[in-house]
Formats: sequence, structure tokens, C-alpha cells
Amino acid sequence: MSTIAASHPAEAHGHGHEEATGWKKYLWSLDHKIIGLQYLFTSLGFLLLGGALALLLRWQLAYPSTQVMPNGDVGNPISLPFINPQFYNALFTMHATVMVFLVVMPLLIGAFGNYLIPLKIGAGDMAFPLINELSYWFFVVSGAVMLAGFFVAGGAAAGGWTSYAPLSSVAAYNGTKMGQTLWAAGIFINGLASIMGAFNYITTIVNMRAPGLGFFRLPLTVWALFITAFLLLLAVPVLSAAGAMLILDLNFGTSFFNPAKGGQPLLWQHLFWFFGHPEVYIMILPAMGMASDVLCIFSRKPVFGYKAMVFAMIAIGFLGFIVWGHHMFVSGMNLVLSAAFGVSTMVIAVPSAIKTFNWLGTLWGGSIRFTTAMLNALAFVAMFVIGGFSGIFMASTPVNIFVHHTYFIVAHFHYVLFGGSIFAIFASIYTWYPKMFGRMLDETLGKIHFALTFVFFNLCFFPMHNVGLGGMMRRIADPTAYEHLRSLQPINQFITMSAIGLGFSQLIFFWNFFRSMKHGKPAGKNPWQATTLEWTVDSPPGHGNFAVTPTVYHGAYEYSLPGHSRDFVMQNEPPTADAGSRRPVHAG
Amino acid sequence: MSKLFIPLATLLLTLSHSHAEIRQTSVWWLPRNVNMFGHEIDFIFYVILWITGITAVAVFSVMIYFIVKYRARPGVPAIHSHGNNTLEVIWTTIPVFIFLALAIYGNEQWTRMRLRTPPADALPVAVVGEQFGWNVRYPGPDGKLAKMTAAKVSKENPFGIDPQDPDGHDDFTTYGELVFPVGRPVRLYLSSKDVIHAFYVPEFRLYQDMVPGRVYDFVWFKAEATGYFQLACNQLCGQGHYKMFGKLSVVPEPEYEAWAKGKAPAATASSESSSTPVAVAGR
Repeated sequence: MSTIAASHPAEAHGHGHEEATGWKKYLWSLDHKIIGLQYLFTSLGFLLLGGALALLLRWQLAYPSTQVMPNGDVGNPISLPFINPQFYNALFTMHATVMVFLVVMPLLIGAFGNYLIPLKIGAGDMAFPLINELSYWFFVVSGAVMLAGFFVAGGAAAGGWTSYAPLSSVAAYNGTKMGQTLWAAGIFINGLASIMGAFNYITTIVNMRAPGLGFFRLPLTVWALFITAFLLLLAVPVLSAAGAMLILDLNFGTSFFNPAKGGQPLLWQHLFWFFGHPEVYIMILPAMGMASDVLCIFSRKPVFGYKAMVFAMIAIGFLGFIVWGHHMFVSGMNLVLSAAFGVSTMVIAVPSAIKTFNWLGTLWGGSIRFTTAMLNALAFVAMFVIGGFSGIFMASTPVNIFVHHTYFIVAHFHYVLFGGSIFAIFASIYTWYPKMFGRMLDETLGKIHFALTFVFFNLCFFPMHNVGLGGMMRRIADPTAYEHLRSLQPINQFITMSAIGLGFSQLIFFWNFFRSMKHGKPAGKNPWQATTLEWTVDSPPGHGNFAVTPTVYHGAYEYSLPGHSRDFVMQNEPPTADAGSRRPVHAG
Repeated sequence: MSKLFIPLATLLLTLSHSHAEIRQTSVWWLPRNVNMFGHEIDFIFYVILWITGITAVAVFSVMIYFIVKYRARPGVPAIHSHGNNTLEVIWTTIPVFIFLALAIYGNEQWTRMRLRTPPADALPVAVVGEQFGWNVRYPGPDGKLAKMTAAKVSKENPFGIDPQDPDGHDDFTTYGELVFPVGRPVRLYLSSKDVIHAFYVPEFRLYQDMVPGRVYDFVWFKAEATGYFQLACNQLCGQGHYKMFGKLSVVPEPEYEAWAKGKAPAATASSESSSTPVAVAGR
């Protein structure tokens, strides 16, 4: 079990660089912790931007600028006249693009992956620090390129984040040749950043674990990021290739996707979703891993069914590659293929169910501490359950014929991405902020932020199920254009008000985040009394992380072990003869 | 009753012909279903709703119970447990069976709806999307549509037909207007001139993408009630997407016949000339 990976990882690998100082530290540091923080700050900035785009969208849906009023005026008196239908399309395209590629992925993988992997495995840094820093700057450039679309002729890409061809690939159809090209270029560059990160993580986790830290002693956060890195490595190049083909189609006269010249529109969909579905798990697996760790820390319990958790994630990783067709049930691809994808899609729900039951098992018999981090982790579990359940409706091929591309799916993926990933990100920020900045976040502000976010999130996104079942399509700039949707308009306005509440609640978080850097209570090495290696070093850890490479003697979750004076056993705590004899056998 | 109802409904339909059904009640829920396949879709929807609803209540009850019961209290340590393999087997097996059952039953219905040959007496109707409207082609008295070839679809020939096709001479076309007889199967021939559009009518529980370069002939349905509905494009197709809708009415058979007669082309008129856009992209 406990294979010894490298005898002295801190000296042996990836630590051949000096500590950068001053402004250089934040511009061109090779230290994984600084790179992690660079990702954190940049993607929190993008979170504000993506949220602002969402609020503009919501305002247009509640008070459309195109609506014809009884007196003949076009536009509602309180509408935003600058949101014309084309700009609306650009808004939701860029909202999704920003949130997926510049917020959720870089927060989970860029920020926490970078910060936590070396610390949790007892390494001095990543295997390839230079590539790590390059990956960050490619990510920044990709964001700049995508957003540049707002300032070019025709405006930003407006074909949806899925950019279905031939709308996206023929300039005459989309009217946003430049914006769409920049979008595809941004996706391509972003893909390079992901690929660089992915092989760096894999190499680091395989080669640089501290002595005694076998794979089955790894914290689930590391397992999740490890599996995610494989998904990135296999899925992202496909999207990059598709993006390159899109650029060629738009600018250089090729016709990969244009049927008028012999191309094939469904090719884009297959390429996109071959990336796109693993991408869904790329955005939830690290959240699952980190939430598992947070749940254990604050219920003072070992994770329930550690190996089941690991194998469930591996199963999700494999199955994630054979379910992409469920996005295309009604695209007109071969109908038997739809049936097959329907079965694999139902099967992938099983490992998610296993994980949920194990989270409940982790709570069972615990000594639960309701910190802000824990509240967010519990919300993650609950919201993920709702998001998972709504997914079952769409996995059923016949029901999909009805609910496809309605607000039902918008509700579904926001429950998974915001309710799931973002709540897990908040849980993780509250948990590891003390390690990152040496100070605690304010718990009172944190709980207010949590309560408001939780309430407004549900008020905003739950009714979307209902308007979707009522027949409201996604991606329409003005629901009142349809007679049969006008009766749903009060619900749309209610959703918009909740979205505004949700958006403004986040300001409390940002206030807490920046204020606590100076004014938070000092954290100390291990404020949560957690077991893993990052809690054995200073907060924030010094350059090189570990003065001496730690040796690991325990699994990551030895909480409440009987016969110990404390209710946790650090992973690097040498076993005493006494404790060793009482060590319980793993159940089953 | 029904004899009285039909003229009454026809009258109401004519009076309110430009108003789709506006739901006054139950805006929070599914609109009424008028398609024969909709019953199965609604049935599976409710089965899943019950299964997930009951499971959700169970999961959240357990979660809240644990949260309350196992809150940190001084002097009460947590239980040191790494799990239980029997439980793992149980909560893996049960979902496997539930999900497989859902997949198998769902696929059976999917096959019924999409893979079975439409009935021979189905009324064939061709619908070809374009930015931002609907070209519709109906068969004339011969009941046959001209054969559509995806490769021939072009600006001038939206239906991709052979002008010499004898089946096509009595066909008639509309732009954005669909009328279906109630109780008779309708078989759709779907395609697109430019980008992907989608044929979506919530009351029909029906969504189908229309990908350019292909003609889909497997979608069929049977309307079981009359009414006026809106056909919506439900695949982002450009800036006018949000108002790419069509008028769709289901009427009694005699009324349909009368409507079709009124639309039938003069013997010499080209069937393509009636393609006058009525829904133009908004700025």
C-alpha cells in the first residue's frame, strides 16, 4: 500500500529555483503557492465579471428592451436599451465562457490544485515550476483574448458557449467573425494552459509524494485533482483542435463544419461534447474531493468508504468519456446511438449516488462543527443532490425530447456548477484561506454571506425548473415575444430579483476576503486541527514548503481515533507502540 | 356535446386566431399535452419525479437528522469509522437497478416514438428552417410531397426538390404557418437552409434539431386536441432567434381540408414564390 515514491522529494525534484522577491514575486514567481494565489485572485476577478454579465442577462429577461409596450413604445420603461438581441446573445455566450474557462476551472484546478497538491503530498513544489508559471500566463492571455471580443467590430462571440456550427463557423450567419475567432483563439490558448497544468499535476503526484504517502493515503482532494488532470489531458486537446478548425473555417476558407460546402455540422458537436462532457466532471470532481476533506475536518471523522470514494471518482472519469452523446439526443444523430448514450448516462449516475451516500455516512456519528466552511460543504452536498436529480430527467431520452434546451437544463447545470462547484469553492476558501494568508476569515460575515447566498441561490435557480417545464426556451433575448410564455413573466422577474440579491451578497464575501488579510485573527499552523501535511507547516508556508521532507505514517483521515489525547492524528505523526496496537482494522 | 363543441371551438379559434393559449392557471407546471406520444413522456416524467422526489426527501431528512443529532457537544466524541462494505454494496446495487430500469423503459418509449415507421396514412409535411423563419410545404390532393434532397437545398430551392417531380406539382407552401388535422398522424420532414434550427412545441412535448445538410423524416406525432399553439425555434440561430416563431393550429379534419384547398396553388404558380418572410429579425 504505502509505496515510497521518492526519498527526498524536496531536494530531488522541482525545487531548483530561488525565491522571487518584490514585484517579481507576483509577476513571475515559480513558487506553486504564489501561482496558486495568482490563479485565485485572477479568477475571483473574473467571477465578478461573469456575475455582472449574468445580472445584465437577467435584467433583459425580466424587462426586455425589445418588448413592445401597449402604447407602441419599444422597450420596457425600465429596460436597458443597450441590450439588443445580438448583444444579449453575446452576453450569455461570454457569461458561460467566462464562468467555465476563467472562473470554475482555474479556481478549482489552477488555484487549489496548485496551492494544495505539493503541500498535501509533502513536496517542495510542482515537478515543472516554469511550466506552471507559463500555464498561469497562458490562462491570463486566454481571458484577455476572449474578452477582447467585446471591443471588435461585430462584438463578442454570440453563438453560445457551445458555439454550434455552422452558426459559429460561417461569418455570414453569425455576424461576429472577429469575436468568434477571438473566442476560438481564447479557447485554444486556455486549452494549452490546462494541458500544461494537467501533466504537471500528474507528474508531481506520481513522483513527488513524501515517503510513506502511498496512493491510498492521499487526501481525496489530491485524488480528485489527479483524476481531473487525466480528464484534462485527454479531453482538452480535442476542444483545442475543434477551436483551430473553427478558426480555419471562419478565416481561411475551409469547410469542416459547413454543409453547404461539404462539411458536417454534427462533427463540431461530437468534438465539442467529447470535450464538453468530461469537462462537466472536470468542474465537479475537484469540488467533490475538497468538499470531502472539509466534511471530514469539521465532522471530526474519517471519510466514510475512502476506497469507494476513490473508485467512484475513477469510474466517473472513465464513464465521463462515453456519455457525451446525451447532449445530442435530439440533434438528429443516429437514433440507436442515442439509446446507447442514454444507458451509459444513467450508469454514470451510480458513482455520484455512491459519493452522496458516503458523504452522509461521513456525517453519521460525527461531532459536527458548524463553521462557515462546513456550512458551504453541506450546501454543496444538498445542491449537488438536486442538480444530480434534475439530470436524471434529461438522461431519460423521451423526457429529453420535452425538456431539451429549456430553462430546466439551465436550472440543472446551475445547481451543479453553482450549487455544487461554487459552494465547494467557498467551503475550500474558508478552509484554506488561513493557510494561504496566515489569518482567519471572519466567521460572522462568512455565515451571513453563506445564508444569503444559499437562500438567494435557491430562489433564483429553483423556479427555473418551472419556467423550463412551462416551455421557456434558453437563449432567447425576449420571452415576451412568445404569447405562450407571457404568463411566465412574473416568475422571470422574480428570478431576476433573486439573482440581483445573489449577486450583491457576494460583495460581503469580497469584503471579508480582503479585509481579513490585514485584520483577520492570526491562524497559526493548524487552526482546524486537521490531519494532512499542509497543516504541519507555517501559515503561509515558506518557500520550499517543508524544512525537512515529512515521512507519512497514516492515512489522511485519522480523526477521533480512540486512545489518543487529541481527536486527530497528523499524517506525519510517528506511531507510538501504544496507538499502533489499538489501531482499528478498516471495516469490511 | 362534441357536435356542438366543434363549431364552437372553430368559432373561438377564428376569433382568437392570433393568440396562443395563454395559461391563466398552473404557470408553474407543464402545459397541457396534445400529442399522443406526450402521454408516455409525461408518464416517465412523473415516474422520475416520484423516484427522485421520494429519494430527495429521504436524503435530506437523513442529512438534517444527522446534522442535528451529531452536532458537536462537549464530551461526546465522534465515532471512529472508516465505512461499511455491506452498506457500500447496498447503495451501489439499488441505484444500478433503478437507473437501468429507467434507461430500459425510457429506451423502449424512445424506440416507439422515434424508431418506428410512421403510419402510411400520415400527412407528410416538410418544414425547412432559415434565419429567421419557417418554410412549410404541404401535399396537395395527391397526398404526396415532392421528394426532398438535402444536397439540393438552397436559397432558391428551400425544400431541395426536383422541379420535375410529379408529386410536387400540387404541393403548396406557407411561411411560418402550420395547420394540422386533429386525430391524424403527421409525419414531418425537417431540414434547414442555413444554420441549425429546432422544431419545438411544448404542448406537443416535441423537440427536434434541424441540421442543415440533412433531412430528418423520423419525427411523427398525432394531435389529440384542437388549439392554437406557437412553434418555437429552440436552437440558437442568430440575432433574430428570439422571435423565430411560427403559428401552429390543430383543427378538425374538414377545416383542415378547407384551409388546404384555399392554399392550393394555381396550376402554373411556382411553389417557391410564396416564400415571403413574415418574421423578420429584430434589430
